[in-house]
Amino acid sequence: MTMTALQPEVHHAVKDGLQLEVTDVTRQTESIVSITFADPSGAPLPSYVPGSHLVVQCGTGANAYSLTGSGTAPSEYTISVLQVADGAGGSLAMHRLAAGDLVYVSRPRSAFAPAATARHFLLVAAGIGITPVLSHARACAEWGIAADLIYVHRPGAGAHVTEAKELLGSAVTECSDRVSFQKTLAEKLTTQPLGTHLYVCGPVAFMDAVLDQAREHGWPSARLHSEAFGAAELDAGEPFTVNLARSGVKLNVPAGVSLLETLEQAGKAIPNMCRKGICGECSLSVLRGKPQHRDLYLSDQEKAENTTMMCCVSRSLDEELELDL
Amino acid sequence: MRIASLPQPAGTGCESGFRGVVCVSFDSADDTADHDAGGRPRHDLRFTSANPESLSELRSALLRSSVGIRLVLTGSPVDIHAAAAVAAECGLAEEEVTLVSDESGLRVVFCAHCRTRTETVEPIGSEVECQGCATDLEIANHFSRRQAAYLGFAANAEEAA
Repeated sequence: MTMTALQPEVHHAVKDGLQLEVTDVTRQTESIVSITFADPSGAPLPSYVPGSHLVVQCGTGANAYSLTGSGTAPSEYTISVLQVADGAGGSLAMHRLAAGDLVYVSRPRSAFAPAATARHFLLVAAGIGITPVLSHARACAEWGIAADLIYVHRPGAGAHVTEAKELLGSAVTECSDRVSFQKTLAEKLTTQPLGTHLYVCGPVAFMDAVLDQAREHGWPSARLHSEAFGAAELDAGEPFTVNLARSGVKLNVPAGVSLLETLEQAGKAIPNMCRKGICGECSLSVLRGKPQHRDLYLSDQEKAENTTMMCCVSRSLDEELELDL
Repeated sequence: MRIASLPQPAGTGCESGFRGVVCVSFDSADDTADHDAGGRPRHDLRFTSANPESLSELRSALLRSSVGIRLVLTGSPVDIHAAAAVAAECGLAEEEVTLVSDESGLRVVFCAHCRTRTETVEPIGSEVECQGCATDLEIANHFSRRQAAYLGFAANAEEAA
């Protein structure tokens, strides 16, 4: 263990968090590793709600990863990380972690919690989307609640398959092609007992397709829960102007440059993390004008109120926006 | 849960996609008869009141159903609220249930002191004697969907005895 593994600067997203030691790195598949963290003194870690995630600082950046445990009185936190070749480099740095390294992590955050009134769970995962879903599966097994899991992955590239089967047995259906997945999903969506809640995690387009199909089969939105880990590519957008009310500054945001980047270039320190409209860190208060909401964080109602925007991806429908900044 | 005072046309409370409707009426001749299920399967249950037998029949009908159905309850507030409590217990979400109340009839008051349920025609804000502990209960504006009853508590409790 070397102290040089520590970053001198603590990322704001992991401030007031924990400093943990990597205790295990296990390869799940060719491109996925599981990383386990524990308190260096062996102290118990804060419990968390199933489906929670952890923000891990790696290098100067910080990324959110789903915790795969059930969250009950944990002595360690485990995450699984998919190596993304064309990403911002966070996953590559994570894959270089080794036992003994010290990292700063946030406390667990919950954004995909199980409904307390659920009597049954229909879990749907694609690829690395298995991670929060595995957390739910573990909690279901611990609490004796029945759950079905549909897991879509490429042949031989499914992480955590053995664990999922140990937890849920024959209620796990693996699919490796579109046709068998569509057939399984349609069958499951029409045969779930009343009181079932659906939890889906995977690429945005995959989740949208699953949620649309559920709605077509009469599932109200109260039963539908999703967690995004990848945002769709966004277009460059139209240029617009922002008026920073408190600073008395006007800035032009050109097409292809985000509002967040523009503010950073002007010397404004805006808290941010994912820069993809998912995490909700870079929220700004809008005083005047209509934002063009392109994030996955705000609810439809919050978007309609037009008082808050995520400056990493959202732009403006009006020529000028006035911000409380 | 939406509350409609009169039966409404075409698919009350059923946004697109629902796969069937369970229509339950309590002692109200044919209130759900014109409830249009939009060509989807429709299952009718008719009861005289929300008693343990009828609620148990409703419970087993719901437990045989799958996600995708909607429930329409028609009758007096006492009956449909008791049935709505069973529906919630079976896992139905509020947006899957439509209440069509005839706005007449009794209400149930739940005694905060002895937990006895007293039926009354008295309006909210007035007083009723608890059938369990004989306390004069003020009928509060607070309605419990789980208990299907209004809260009743000792009237004038804050005054010195």
